[in-house]
Amino acid sequence: MASISRPAAPDLKKEKPPLTKRFAHALSRDYQLWLLLLPTIAFFIVFHYLPLYGIQIAFKDYKAVQGITGSKWVGLKHFKIFFDSYYSGRLIINTLLLNLYNLVWGFPIPLIMAILLNQFRSERFKRFAQTTIYAPHFISTVVMAGILYLFLSPNNGVVNTFIKTLGGTPIFFMNEASWFRKIFIITEIWQHSGWSSILFIATLTGIDQEIYEAATIDGASKMQKIRHIDIPHLIPITVIMLILNCGRLLSSNTTKALVMQQPGNIPTSDIIGVYVYTQGLGKAQFSYTSAIGLTVNVVNFFMIITVNWISKKLGDTSLF
Amino acid sequence: MSISRVNMAQKKGRKKEEGFRKINGDTVFDIVNWIIWVIILVLILYPLWLIIIASVSDPEAILEGKVLFVPINFSLIGYKAVFKHPELMRSYANSIFYTLTGTALSVVVTMMGAYALSRQFAGRKVVNFLLVFTMFFSGGLIPQFLVNRALGIYNNIWVMILMNAISVWNLMVARTYISTNIPYELYEAAVMDGATHFIFFTKCVMPLSGTIIAVLAVYYGVARWNDYFTGLVYIRNRDLLPLQTVLRELVAQLNSQAQASFFEAYEDGQSIVDAIRKAEVAKYCSIVVSTVPAIILYIFMQNYFEKGVMIGSLKG
Repeated sequence: MASISRPAAPDLKKEKPPLTKRFAHALSRDYQLWLLLLPTIAFFIVFHYLPLYGIQIAFKDYKAVQGITGSKWVGLKHFKIFFDSYYSGRLIINTLLLNLYNLVWGFPIPLIMAILLNQFRSERFKRFAQTTIYAPHFISTVVMAGILYLFLSPNNGVVNTFIKTLGGTPIFFMNEASWFRKIFIITEIWQHSGWSSILFIATLTGIDQEIYEAATIDGASKMQKIRHIDIPHLIPITVIMLILNCGRLLSSNTTKALVMQQPGNIPTSDIIGVYVYTQGLGKAQFSYTSAIGLTVNVVNFFMIITVNWISKKLGDTSLF
Repeated sequence: MSISRVNMAQKKGRKKEEGFRKINGDTVFDIVNWIIWVIILVLILYPLWLIIIASVSDPEAILEGKVLFVPINFSLIGYKAVFKHPELMRSYANSIFYTLTGTALSVVVTMMGAYALSRQFAGRKVVNFLLVFTMFFSGGLIPQFLVNRALGIYNNIWVMILMNAISVWNLMVARTYISTNIPYELYEAAVMDGATHFIFFTKCVMPLSGTIIAVLAVYYGVARWNDYFTGLVYIRNRDLLPLQTVLRELVAQLNSQAQASFFEAYEDGQSIVDAIRKAEVAKYCSIVVSTVPAIILYIFMQNYFEKGVMIGSLKG
């Protein structure tokens, strides 16, 4: 059969035939692979590369009638408006702080959980604990927010009922700017720290048991084993995860911040992603918000590239 | 007694002491560790338990803050309201449809693409790069919205099925799985027997990839079931809304007036205050009803979820 292709076609050709011929040959050999890839390629063109082409509206005054290509070029107008506005500073600070606090509080917990869980001998308990700590990861953002609105309700939420029985005054948690980040981060930890510990748990399970046995014979205590065996083994993966997280400091968890946003907490809950959604789709400021989105994407892109370069330098692990 | 004996006795004594101290330290550690884990597990399970018991309790008892450990005045009034709420039920059916069809499509297309990318062919590296690039740079919400609207993928079921149909991450996980788990010798043998890529893919790769297919199905399935944003941005026709988008309006708002719709419409002659109070319990019920599918899937497919993380962490 002519169409059978061979992986890693050896490059044994002595003289190269013309390009068109080689192309036709490669296509006749690999056409089935290309057909298998076709839906994937089509999907990425429609949902990823056409929007990339659509970014040009950030430099235009988008009018629905004129369309993406037909609208008038206005250069950097929208970028200037954004950076001159009162909002730019607040949005950037809100986004950065939310991510930074989330990293500081949320990052160590999966690590600690993995180390502590690894100390248990009983496989059944480990299994049970793992099943439990992963479960909240499967709760949707909307349900998570729904739980918050119910539990934190100022009138009859569990938390405020408790505060009232202690003699305190109820707090309107979901509508107060000073509470937004705390609630956001606590629920992030509650939902995802178990799930994030999987990689660390796997790393610890992979450690050679003989090392522990040798340490036991030498009289090492559990704390000493953690310090001298577990932690050194966890350092490489921890560094990589930490660096990767640093590359996302300006990205937005739009879906969650959006469901938690209320008039009262806007001073802290207004992060870039939410602002782009509310101004762009809510108020049809398409070009202006595209410019904001593009700025953030460019910054994020270079942060990830830098971070990846750093992790490549530090160890031999990198994303790409 | 010779000196050496004395030394040995001393050594033995010291060893005993050390051993005693060591066991002691470890015991303290174990106790503290147990206490920490009891706290962690309670912190995770108690809110979930609270939602379940509140969903089957009497609305009055919930409002008075009495429902803390067990259901009070068992009542299914909330569930009745949920199952009688036409919009919630329609969106529930919509979500089942979107999740099943969308996940099937995602899994098949991802497997096809992953198989192709696991082979060597001219242009593979370029395709690979262009796919991975989209993980790090995207057009953003607004250009994507405008392009989709221009293409007519707006306010219809196609947007719900096609949006986020393929994740690069899942594609790379599947590719890694295929290239490490399907031996190359098998392909060579199949070629000897006259198999093409199509035949090899359908007759060998798919049947041998049960694990990764399950992993993909649970990842795509849960992501689709839990997604409210696509519905929020792209669906205007309320008959097409997915569950999570409708749920957001009912449970994730401060305005309890809107939530009173749980009862208002179905029980005539009842006051708005009463409706709002009862709606409180219906919110708990809708949370339970909407989360149960994802949690059940998780419990049954637990091993596959973890495997997905492991395969993903291998450098492909």
